[in-house]
Amino acid sequence: MPALEMTDVRKTYRSGDSEVVALDHASLTLGDDEILALVGPSGSGKTTLLSIAGGLLTPTEGSVVVGGEEISALDAKRLTRFRRERVGFVFQAVNLVPFLTARENLLVVAELGRRDGRAARRRADALLDELGLSDRAGSLPAQLSGGERQRVAIGRALMNEPALVLVDEPTSALDTKLGEQVMELITSEVKSRSTAAIIVTHDTRMTHYADRTIEITDGVLVA
Amino acid sequence: MRRAKLRFGMLACAVGLLVFLILFQQTLLGTLLGYFTGALENQSADVVVYNEEARQNLAGSLVTIDQLEAVGAVDGVAAVGPLGQGTFTVVAGGEERDAAVWGYRLGGPGEPTTLVEGRLPETDGEAVASAIDAAAGFDIGDEVTIAGTEVAITVVGLASDIRFSVQPVLFVSYETWQDVAGAANPDAPVLLPSAALVQAAGGVAPAALAERITASVEGVEALDRATAVASLPGVEAVNQSFALILLLAFVVVTLVVGFFFLIITVQKLPSLGLLKALGYSSAQLAWSVGLQVLAVSAGGVLVGGLLLAGASLASSESFPISADPALVLTTGAAVLGLAVVSSIGSLRRVARIDATAAVGRQHLGGLE
Ligand SMILES: Nc1ncnc2c1ncn2[C@@H]1O[C@H](COP(=O)(O)OP(=O)(O)O)[C@@H](O)[C@H]1O
Ligand SMILES: [Mg+2]
Repeated sequence: MPALEMTDVRKTYRSGDSEVVALDHASLTLGDDEILALVGPSGSGKTTLLSIAGGLLTPTEGSVVVGGEEISALDAKRLTRFRRERVGFVFQAVNLVPFLTARENLLVVAELGRRDGRAARRRADALLDELGLSDRAGSLPAQLSGGERQRVAIGRALMNEPALVLVDEPTSALDTKLGEQVMELITSEVKSRSTAAIIVTHDTRMTHYADRTIEITDGVLVA
Repeated sequence: MRRAKLRFGMLACAVGLLVFLILFQQTLLGTLLGYFTGALENQSADVVVYNEEARQNLAGSLVTIDQLEAVGAVDGVAAVGPLGQGTFTVVAGGEERDAAVWGYRLGGPGEPTTLVEGRLPETDGEAVASAIDAAAGFDIGDEVTIAGTEVAITVVGLASDIRFSVQPVLFVSYETWQDVAGAANPDAPVLLPSAALVQAAGGVAPAALAERITASVEGVEALDRATAVASLPGVEAVNQSFALILLLAFVVVTLVVGFFFLIITVQKLPSLGLLKALGYSSAQLAWSVGLQVLAVSAGGVLVGGLLLAGASLASSESFPISADPALVLTTGAAVLGLAVVSSIGSLRRVARIDATAAVGRQHLGGLE
């Protein structure tokens, strides 16, 4: 079963009187352990596509099936639950809760899924360890470097064992070397879990970490 | 949420101070009003009968013996007795000062109900005094004389909260009051009681009895005890001004808590948006804010209650402040309720949080 199947998805934003078409007739199939790089310039619709795939936005038209479940018709409550249980996000902008430590930022998602607290703590510690952050577990985001913060966000995205990981421009705030390290980390973490992932970037140098690359311009996908 | 302990602690303390202010004011009001009205409040008569011209003021009231008898004949009156009341200059503990003398028929309606030490007067020349003035020459065994006369009264008992118009009070026999009033004012013609005091028969509501007395006895106005206390001159004005201050304090509590949480919420909007994107429902987020509001205000009530308890320990004998747990509880409940009301703005803001806010658009147009 594919991890994600988008068919003829269209998304328009209303801004004032005019309509912005952010995504147009986008169709995409993602294998269940495939890593896809989505490349395109700013404003091309990358974030919009990720948001629709992750149940943060509902498409104006078209169908979105994640792990066999059609999500374009779900109501807000079901979408909230879907996001919580099925998707791991690394967002472009805000990623960490500033007043929680690295470890608490991981646990914040687990609290939601009402996992057994002890198991969740063990999982959080194991993830932090894998990400090389075990000695930063008690630090607040402000005390972490950009790369460390990005790694915490990756840990948070993997915390609930999602079937689909969505990563929005993970390297844009980092220098090339750090960016490559982070990319490598994401891809190896995702691969080792046989999880599907979409990684958005506008940096074509990063695409070799992915199994496949798709380009997007002005809301249109080009394989 | 968990992290900003200092800020929340400070808010709890601020709310605590306001709660303390409210509690202190209410306690102060109770004490103050008690100083004005205690003697009337803490005596045994259910109904006080004034002359209808007196406008519910003891000082301006006289009732005739005929009226006294007519009151006694009203259905539902178990006992009636005279009350002689007046302020006199007395010599107590070697010093001259004003005191209120209350004369009632010993064993009849009008005896003090809050005796804390000693006994009630049993013969003429004996008195129960206000306990708070014991040290000022009104202690048990002390002799108080009416200035410029030979009339002497011996204190045999002390009762709490029986001051009147902020003066020491002596509860004496009606005959002793007549002696005092006659000696202090030798030219006065006949001495008439200031009011009639009535004991209601079992099962008769004082308020209804008071109405019946007013209706059936010519020239009098009867009030049940509570109404009589509330109608004393000045009581309502004091009550009203305190009510206004209280209202203000409650409004301030509401605004402080409300604004604090609105600011906190607005500051946390990005985080709350992130949590929503990660799968927290609006209800969960609103609940967490609501819990914080409750925790902070409960902390505030606790601080306020402790401060009041501290104040009551530290308060002096001449101006006692007592921490009334029921007052703390009702005020606390009111503050908690208002805090929740005040946070409605924040809760609504939380409910409107857009999950896509976390997605971020700051990279648009190449901006970083
Ligand atoms: N909430 C919104 N309201 C209006 N227009 C939006 C909104 N979000 C995105 N857009 C527009 O949609 C287009 C695609 O945006 P986005 O998906 O964020 O692009 P990218 O992530 O590739 O930079 C842009 O033209 C942007 O201005
Ligand atoms: Mg984007």
